[in-house]
Amino acid sequence: MQAKGSRGAPSLGALPFLFIVAVLLGLLPCLQPNPMLVSEAPHYPAVISGSEAGDVTAAPLDVSQAIRPLTNHTSPGHAKSRKAFPVLGIDYTHVRIPFEISLWILLACLMKLGFHVIPSVSNIVPESCLLIVVGLLVGGLIKGVGESPPILKSDIFFLFLLPPIILDAGYFLPLRQFTENLGTILIFAVVGTLWNAFFLGGLMYAVCQISGTGLDHIGLLANLLFGSIISAVDPVAVLAVFEEIHINELLHILVFGESLLNDAVTVVLYHLFEEFANFEQVTVTDIILGFLSFFVVSLGGVFVGVIYGVIAAFTSRFTSHIRVIEPLFVFLYSYMAYLSAELFHLSGIMALIASGVVMRPYVEANISHKSHTTIKYFLKMWSSVSETLIFIFLGVSTVAGRHYWNWTFIISTLIFCLIARVLGVLGLTWFINRFRIVKLTPKDQFIIAYGGLRGAIAFSLGYLLDYEHFGMRDMFLTAIITVIFFTVFVQGMTIRPLVDLLAVKKKQETKRSINEEIHTQFLDHLLTGIEDICGHYGHHHWKDKLNRFNKKYVKKCLIAGERSKEPQLIAFYHKMEMKQAIELVESGGLGKIPSAISTVSMQCVHLAVSQLPPLSSLSKDKEEEIRKILRNNLQKTRQRLRSYNRHTLVADPYEEAWNQMLLRRQKALQLEHKMNNYLTVPAHKLDSPTMSRARIGSDPQAYEPKSDSGNLPIITIDPASPQTPESVEDLKGMSRLPPSPEEDEEGLVMRVKESSSPGTDDVFTPGAGDSPSNQRMMRCLSDPGPQPEPEEGEPFIPKGQ
Amino acid sequence: MGCQSSHPSAIPELEEIMQETGFSQASVVRLYDRFQALDKEQKGSLSKYDLQGIGELAVNPLGDRIINAFFKEGEELADFRSFIRVLARFRPVEEGKSKETGRPEPMNSRLSKLRFAFQLYDQDSDGKISRDEMLQVLQLMVGIQVTDEQLVCIAERTIQEADQDGDGAISFEEFATSVEKLNIEQRMSLRLLK
Repeated sequence: MQAKGSRGAPSLGALPFLFIVAVLLGLLPCLQPNPMLVSEAPHYPAVISGSEAGDVTAAPLDVSQAIRPLTNHTSPGHAKSRKAFPVLGIDYTHVRIPFEISLWILLACLMKLGFHVIPSVSNIVPESCLLIVVGLLVGGLIKGVGESPPILKSDIFFLFLLPPIILDAGYFLPLRQFTENLGTILIFAVVGTLWNAFFLGGLMYAVCQISGTGLDHIGLLANLLFGSIISAVDPVAVLAVFEEIHINELLHILVFGESLLNDAVTVVLYHLFEEFANFEQVTVTDIILGFLSFFVVSLGGVFVGVIYGVIAAFTSRFTSHIRVIEPLFVFLYSYMAYLSAELFHLSGIMALIASGVVMRPYVEANISHKSHTTIKYFLKMWSSVSETLIFIFLGVSTVAGRHYWNWTFIISTLIFCLIARVLGVLGLTWFINRFRIVKLTPKDQFIIAYGGLRGAIAFSLGYLLDYEHFGMRDMFLTAIITVIFFTVFVQGMTIRPLVDLLAVKKKQETKRSINEEIHTQFLDHLLTGIEDICGHYGHHHWKDKLNRFNKKYVKKCLIAGERSKEPQLIAFYHKMEMKQAIELVESGGLGKIPSAISTVSMQCVHLAVSQLPPLSSLSKDKEEEIRKILRNNLQKTRQRLRSYNRHTLVADPYEEAWNQMLLRRQKALQLEHKMNNYLTVPAHKLDSPTMSRARIGSDPQAYEPKSDSGNLPIITIDPASPQTPESVEDLKGMSRLPPSPEEDEEGLVMRVKESSSPGTDDVFTPGAGDSPSNQRMMRCLSDPGPQPEPEEGEPFIPKGQ
Repeated sequence: MGCQSSHPSAIPELEEIMQETGFSQASVVRLYDRFQALDKEQKGSLSKYDLQGIGELAVNPLGDRIINAFFKEGEELADFRSFIRVLARFRPVEEGKSKETGRPEPMNSRLSKLRFAFQLYDQDSDGKISRDEMLQVLQLMVGIQVTDEQLVCIAERTIQEADQDGDGAISFEEFATSVEKLNIEQRMSLRLLK
C-alpha cells in the first residue's frame, strides 16, 4: 500500500492511507476473541479501546507505543471501591460484539475506498488480491501484537457472508443468456466438477502412495474428499475478477453460471466423502444413493427456491399500500429460501438463485420504481461488503490458521488442479460444440479454463472438516489456501492483460433499444413457427409454451391489477420511457430535450392528428412554435414525480419548477379568458390539434381535474388510456376557436367548452377506473405515504392515493 | 414425422437441392418426409391450407406471414424445392468457412437470414418497413390488449430509433444495423437443420 506518485498530488493520496494505517492500528486492541470469531487468546481488558479510539485520528502511531498503554492500564483493573456516582463510565463488554463487527465492516469499506483513491494500483492488481494482502497485513499485525487473529468461521461465512452475493447474482441474472446456454453451463458445472474432483483425488492418492513422502496414511476417500473440496469454481472469486475485466456476456455467463450451479455437486460430493471416509468399504448401494442424492439436492434446492419465489411474488401483489417495506419482502423470502434449503442439506445456492429468478418478473411488475431502486442498491451494497469481508478474512485466516506445509502434496495439488481444469474444459468443449449453434472458439476455451478460480467456499468447506476423522486437516487447509492464493493472485492478475492480448470480445455497454426488443420477439415467434412447420419440438417451442402458460395463468395470480395483462413489449416500452424521463431530469435538462423523446412525442401526436379530419393549414412557423411549447410542457409533466411524504425531508426540486409553471399557466389562462369573450365563431379544427396533442403525448401520467375548479382549464395528459371511439368523435365535433397569438405562450391549454360541464371533461379523463396509465402513475406516485398532501390552490390533483 | 423414411432416390433433384441449400442428405430426406406428412392429399405440393392445418401455427401471431413466405407471389402451391429453400435460411452458419469470392451468397448466411426476416416485415416488398407495416406487426404481436395510440407511439419510436436517413421508414441496411447486437446467427438457426 505505497502511495506511489500517480496523477494527482501524491501527498493528497498518501493521506487516506495514513488514515487507514492509523485505523488499523487502532483496531489492534479491539480485536478480541468473541464467540463469533474463533480464537484462543486470553481476554483483553476492555478499557483500552476507549482511549485508543481517541488516538486514532492523530498522526500515525508507532506500534510499540500502542502496545505500551495497553499493558500499563491492566493494573488498575476494575476495582469497584465505594466512590462517587460515575458520571462517565466505560462498559466495553456490553457493546463488544456489535462494535467489533462494525469495526471490521468499516475496515472493509475503508479499504475499498482506499483502493479507488489510488487508481494506479487497482488497475494492475484486482481488488480481491489487494484485499487479501490487507487481510494478511492485519492478521500479521494482530499476531505481532501477540493476539491470535480471528479465523473465518464457516458458519458466519455460509450464513451471513455468502447469501448476499449469491442473491445479488441470482436476482440480476441475465435470464435470456443463461437459459440459452443452460445446457453448456450444466455440463461444465456437473460433469466438469465431477471430473475435476475424481481426477484430482485419484492423482493425489497416487502421489500419496509414492513412498518417501510420508503421506501414505491418507486414504483414497480422504483424497477424493480433498479433490471435491478444491475442484469447485468459486462464484465469489469469479465475480470479483470477471467484473473488472468486462468480458463479453457469453463467457461471463458460462463461467459464472458454472460457478453457481456446481454448488449442488460440491455439496453432495462433500457430504458423501465425508461420510464414507470413515468406512473402509464403499458398496454399490452407497454409490447409487450418492447419485440419487445429487438429484435430490439440486432439484430439491431449486424446488424450495421456486416455492419461496412464488410466495414472494404473491405477497408483492398486495403491497401497494405499504411500499416502504417492499424490498424487505424480497430479501427475507430469498434468505428464508436459502436457510430452508440448508436446513434440509439441499443446495442453498440453487434455492437462492431459483427464488430470485422466479420472483423477479412478478415482483418488478408489482413494486414501485423506488422500491426497485432500493432493492438494487441494497443488494449491490451487501454483496460488495460481503465480498470485501470475505477476502480480508481469507487473508487473516491464512495468518491465523495452523499450517502444515508439505512440499510434495501442495505442489502436486496445484499442478494437478491446473491440468485437471484445462483437460476438463477442452474435453467438454469438444463434446459440447457438437451441439451448439455458436461454437466455442479456442480463445473462449482458454478464458473458461483460466477463469476457474477457487475461493473462500473451498476454504470454508475445508475448515469444516473435523480433526478426529481428518488428522491431515491442516495440510489440506494449507493446500487449499495455496491454491486459492495462486488462482486469485496469479490468474486474477494476469487475466486482464491476457484478455487484451488475445483480443477477446468485451462487453458491449449499450442499452437495449425498443428495436431490439421488438425484433427479438419477432424472431422468437418466427422461429417457433418454423419449428412447428418442421415438426420439431425444440427450444423455441417449449419456451413459447411456457410463455403462454405464464401469460394465461401465472401472471393473473401474481401480478396486481391491470398490469397482469400488460404485454411484455408494452412494459418494456414504458420502462424505457420512464428511464429516459428520469435521466433527463437527472441531467438537469429541464429546458433541453433529447430529440428522441420530443420528436417522437411530436410525431406521435402528429400521427393522431393526421387521422383526424384535415386541418386548415397552420402556417409553418406557428406550427413549430406550438410544437416547441408542447414539447417543453410535455417534458415537464413527465418529470412530475411525487416526493416522499414520510421519509424524506428534502423538498423535491422538481416540485418547485412544477409550481412555477403552474402559476405561469394560470396567469396565461386568465389572459386567455379575456380573449375568449370576444370570439364567437366556432372553428373546430384548429383546436383539435392542441387538445389531441395534449391528450396523446407520450406521457404516462394522468391527472383528473378538481371537480369544483369551475372554469379553470384542465390539462390532462393521458396518452395511454383506452380511448373510447365516442370520445374521439366528440373531439371532432367540438366547436373551437381559432388560435390566437396568445396561444403560443400558454402551452397546454384547453378552451372552455360550452357543451359539457366544466371540470368534468370526459374527453380528457376517460375514466376513473384502473386504466393502465392510472395504474402506472399510481405506482410512480404512490410511494410511500398513504396520505397525499393536497396542494392547495392548484387545479391539478394527482389522481388516486 | 412419417412412419416410413423416403429413399433418397425418391426425392426429385436431390443433388441440386443439396448443392443449393447446403443441407446434408439426411436432413433433406428428413425434410422430405415432413413435406409429405404435411401434404395430406399427396398431390406433391403444399397448399396454404395444409400449412394452416398445423395447430401451433394457428396460435402463432406471425403464423399467416410465415405461411405466406413459403409461397411465391400469387401462387397457391409450393413444391418441395420452395419448401426447402425457405428452411435453408435457418440452417446454422458454419464457422470458419472463409468467404470465397465468386460464390453466390449461401442461403444460410447472416445476410440471407436478415433478408428473410426483413421480407416478413415488409409485406409490400418496397424495400422499406414503413410505419404502417411496423404497426401491423405490432398489432399482430401485441394487438388486443393495447390501444392503437400506444401502438402508434411505439411504432413511431421504433422507426425513429432505427431510421438514420430520415425517410420515416426502415430500409434493409438500417434494419441490419439495428439488430447488430442480436447474434442473428444463433437466433435464426435451428440446430436440427444441419
